[in-house]
Amino acid sequence: MTAASAIQLAPTDNVATMVSAAEDGQAVTVNTRGGRLQINAAGDIPFGFKIAVADIAAGDQVYKYGASIGQATADIAVGTLVHVHNLAGLRAGGDTGRTG
Amino acid sequence: MSATFLGYPRPDGSAGTRNHVLVLPGGWECQQIVNMVNGTVTPTSADLGVARTRSDRETIARMHTGLAMNPNVYAVVIVTGGGKINEGMLNGLHAEEPCRAAGKPVEIIDCDGWDAIAQGSRAAARLVHEASAQRRQRVGASNLRVGVKCGASDPTSGLVGNPSLGRMFDRVVEAGGTAIFSETTEVIGAEHELADRCVNSEVRKRFLELIEDHEEVARGVGQDIRTINPVPANIAAGISTLEEKSLGAVHKGGTAPIAGVLEYAERPTAPGLYFMDSSVSHVVVLPGMAGAGCNIVFFQLGGGGWSRRTLTGGQGIVAPQMWVTGNPTTAARVTGIDFSSGPAISEGRSIEEMGDKLFDLVLEVASGKLARTEMLRFFDPVQYYLPGPSF
Repeated sequence: MTAASAIQLAPTDNVATMVSAAEDGQAVTVNTRGGRLQINAAGDIPFGFKIAVADIAAGDQVYKYGASIGQATADIAVGTLVHVHNLAGLRAGGDTGRTG
Repeated sequence: MSATFLGYPRPDGSAGTRNHVLVLPGGWECQQIVNMVNGTVTPTSADLGVARTRSDRETIARMHTGLAMNPNVYAVVIVTGGGKINEGMLNGLHAEEPCRAAGKPVEIIDCDGWDAIAQGSRAAARLVHEASAQRRQRVGASNLRVGVKCGASDPTSGLVGNPSLGRMFDRVVEAGGTAIFSETTEVIGAEHELADRCVNSEVRKRFLELIEDHEEVARGVGQDIRTINPVPANIAAGISTLEEKSLGAVHKGGTAPIAGVLEYAERPTAPGLYFMDSSVSHVVVLPGMAGAGCNIVFFQLGGGGWSRRTLTGGQGIVAPQMWVTGNPTTAARVTGIDFSSGPAISEGRSIEEMGDKLFDLVLEVASGKLARTEMLRFFDPVQYYLPGPSF
């Protein structure tokens, strides 16, 4: 099985975006601004979805485009899918008063 | 050599990409005139001002004037409804004076019903015939006034689609043209990046206040914007949070300095890149851009969460509406796409190349090549951005 690929948009990002789908256990080549990073997918990750490129602890900020896109709601291991089940936005929550 | 297109020069110095006769303010008589007479357009909106606050009625009046003043409009027919007891600002007459001052023909039909349809059709037919004697001439790309909305966003939107469109925006601004982006909600989480690009502290302050007010409104009504944005199609395609969506969305504005912040349907007074206040719905944003003077508007589509779809258009009312996407799968399965920057993903082409190709196509469409939804004689109904309560 050839490696799937992902792109990390900024050096400080702890997630990358899949530019091809990855199956559980498949090698993923992450293209970074500076070079390449090899990780393994922990679970299936579809095209366009985010893969953790570092371990992220619950409560940590998740970064994409070099900016925060929210907060991890669970511990996220490298290679794992990052989406609504383990990531929550911090802005525009008019019901909670949370507006960042 | 600087870029040019074949446009319709107008007496006020602007140039149209189309040559319409506009019938205002909308409603059944206007609709009948448009059904009857080729070459005419009218806004199809239920927002005619009933039960609206003063500031919202002013927005409707600004919209009417803005559409009438749009470079794509050769002449305007205004159907007043005659002696109908009406809110003065809602009958389209606000557009009369600015049009006359700009040298644009205006015909007032001061009656209602069958009489208005008969007289209005006759006037519209005469003006369309007159308009047909206009000839396109080579004009500078500085006459381009473009507006964009991005939607059904997926991760290709932030990676490829919006940056390619942003490159086209940069080309328009470099050429001395005007470019407008919008969708206030979808700046939340990315506002500081944009604030740093505002030309001066006044614009920066106004921009940040607008975003703050927007979140304040959500707090005031106890609503969580996150329950409506990102939308289900975004989430199905891999976008998780509003911040993530915003950070991808703002790329559609390109990289030029932000010259100003506009009210909905407000006409900029100088060329450059502008941010316009609006909600995110395409039936709201795109008409507002036409009201702000855009002579071509764009829907930058992600579409990763969609199955098959046939696109419709007409939200630009007087401005042709182009559909573009950065998702190669969307480009293959959706009917009506004008341009795909998908090769930046599927073939490793550069964003610059994609944006430059799009700019070339924009010059062609500005010169008269039809946008693909222009073949349809169907106009999606539009809404105006009326944030006040309705009483």
